Amino acid sequence: MTDTNPPSERFLDAIRGALGPGACITDQAGIEPYVTEWRGILRGRCSLVTRPTSTAEVSRILSICNEARVAVTPQGGNTGMVAAALPQGGIVLSTERLNRIRELDSDNAAMVVEAGCVLKDLQDAAGQVGQLLPLSLGAEGSCHIGGNLATNAGGTMTVRFGNARDLVLGLEVVLAGGEVWDGLRTLRKNNTGYDLKHLFIGSEGTLGVITAAALKLFPGLGSTETVLAALNTPDDVLKLFVRLRVQLGDDILGFETFPSLGLKLARKHIPDIRDPFAGDYPQYALVEAFSHRRDPVLRESLNEAFATALDDGLILDAVVAESQAQSDALWRIRESIPEAHAKEGATIRHDVSVPVSKVPQFLTAGKTLVEQRLPGVRVIAFGHIGDGNIHFNLLQPEDMAKDRFLARMPELNRAVHDLVDSLGGSFSAEHGIGMVKREDLARYRPAVELRMMRGIKSLLDPNHIMNPGKLFLPEDLG
Amino acid sequence: MKILVPVKRVIDYNVKVRVRQDGSGVETVNVKMSMNPFDEIAVEEAIRLQEAGRAEEIVAISIGAPQCQETIRTALAMGADRGILVETEQDLEPLGVSKVLRECVDRESPDLVIMGKQAIDDDCNQTAQILAGLLDWPQGAFASTLKFSDGRVDVTREIDGGLETLSLLLPAVISADLRLNEPRYVKLPNIMKAKKKPLDTIPIEELGIDVAPRVSTIKVEEPPARSGGIMVASVEELVDKLKNDAKVI
Repeated sequence: MTDTNPPSERFLDAIRGALGPGACITDQAGIEPYVTEWRGILRGRCSLVTRPTSTAEVSRILSICNEARVAVTPQGGNTGMVAAALPQGGIVLSTERLNRIRELDSDNAAMVVEAGCVLKDLQDAAGQVGQLLPLSLGAEGSCHIGGNLATNAGGTMTVRFGNARDLVLGLEVVLAGGEVWDGLRTLRKNNTGYDLKHLFIGSEGTLGVITAAALKLFPGLGSTETVLAALNTPDDVLKLFVRLRVQLGDDILGFETFPSLGLKLARKHIPDIRDPFAGDYPQYALVEAFSHRRDPVLRESLNEAFATALDDGLILDAVVAESQAQSDALWRIRESIPEAHAKEGATIRHDVSVPVSKVPQFLTAGKTLVEQRLPGVRVIAFGHIGDGNIHFNLLQPEDMAKDRFLARMPELNRAVHDLVDSLGGSFSAEHGIGMVKREDLARYRPAVELRMMRGIKSLLDPNHIMNPGKLFLPEDLG
Repeated sequence: MKILVPVKRVIDYNVKVRVRQDGSGVETVNVKMSMNPFDEIAVEEAIRLQEAGRAEEIVAISIGAPQCQETIRTALAMGADRGILVETEQDLEPLGVSKVLRECVDRESPDLVIMGKQAIDDDCNQTAQILAGLLDWPQGAFASTLKFSDGRVDVTREIDGGLETLSLLLPAVISADLRLNEPRYVKLPNIMKAKKKPLDTIPIEELGIDVAPRVSTIKVEEPPARSGGIMVASVEELVDKLKNDAKVI
């Protein structure tokens, strides 16, 4: 078993000796941010934070920890949704000083970057040379690419470019024993046995430490257009999506939806959010279309598609952004919804996915289900309807105490996740498992899947030093 | 009342402007263009006046390449009634723009010309003032509030140290400041309607005016990149750096 007790002086000396100056944090005040979760629900503990500056240093840390059987929790920007980066003893390995862009090769449309690069900085670096790194999510200003890959992040461009996994050409990983796997190939074709990088993507730091990645780039966005449409029901939103996918095909960069309550709370709690419409509508769809070229036809085809939808009564109204400032303002409505309902009261979150065609069915059944169990609960279902991923969040009833509401979390989670499962969906679409959804993993994944996962874990990390307490329940690993 | 609103097509406010490799100007190829945000405020104000029953017709005018039609269409979709494009491939200076506008004022006889206080591309902040001079009309620049009453308009303007209110006789030229209003989002049905609104194109030569530039641009270059800061270990080192490296004390 791994040792999650405070590390010995001998161990600390070995770590200090292996790293450059300023790499270790041992005082409680300095450690605090690394054991604090932004959600404010769980707390971590550890007595040492290491901040290596090179792959070689990561290798030395893991080698020492493996020898001493000390648990290692890799941590990026600490922006996760399921406490996967929250240490449960042992040490934290922060990627914050592994933050160089090693190579940006426009001709090969690839960039090789270290794990601690902030996502926004990488988007900007690609943009500087007219390229696009098509990964975009709410935390992009502080999350690290290493964390994005370890959790296979999704976000708002998934509908067009896929998840983080789809953007990876190669990885550099330090294995649990300290051995370095240099898999930083930037090849588009490479059928040479098991594609091992995919084991580490989405593994939440339980198999090794991703220290660098080779990422795919795409031509920059020549034109983008943003439309916010008002609709009656989620069913209409789905119909609009299906219709636009036929009419606009790959031009759709993002397709998001949120309900009336989402906009209301955003206006109530977030400064400078305007209602783009004069009236109040039940449901909204935010559509972003793009072309790699400077393309006046894009706007025309988008306008025509929406005009037809308006004539047919599928949408009730729509506004079109006339400038980037207006486009940003429309997106800010969507992006401020999580923060807005956190300010409104306690929230029980679900990050689920179902086949796109079953989204309306899930929303209707889910709403009935939770309202029956807890009258007065306020459902805010929003998110990436274009890829079937819905953030099905429950806001506490206005007259209920926060604690009493949160005490119902396990029961409500179970009910929602059972429904999702019955529709062939996933109980965690883009947020991962971490500490929060371990029981769900054990409940909903078949035994054979869990057995394969455990086998891989034991092979790559036989001493179980990598991020213990995440993905698997301790009893599952034995 | 009839209102003329000049609108300029500029690089979108949120785009990072880059200098062309040859130093001849800024890069506009493959760059998002939008209506000058201050002009958008002017259009919004005109529409609000119309909605309040104070204006009968709003004419949006732009000067430039055929693509400026898009900017005029935006004004039409917001609510302007018709558009005029004075077509030219040349980059006009404020004097040239003002002369073209004077010509259009002569043809259209508006009671009010309202435009943005400046365009965000050249930041000149001259056109409204020059136009008022050429027309010999009263001017109210940097307007943050307008109040109309019998042939007059009271313009509250933002000046150094506070607000000043001028009472102008119409016809007048007004330039809009940021706080005058917040422009509306354009609704899809209005975009479709705007396609059917009249938009006349006049080749600039037809106006027979001298718009030749008075200033020639020799070279455009980026400001020098700032070098990063350094950490100093002591007050002595700081003083030494200020004295010997930065040479500021």
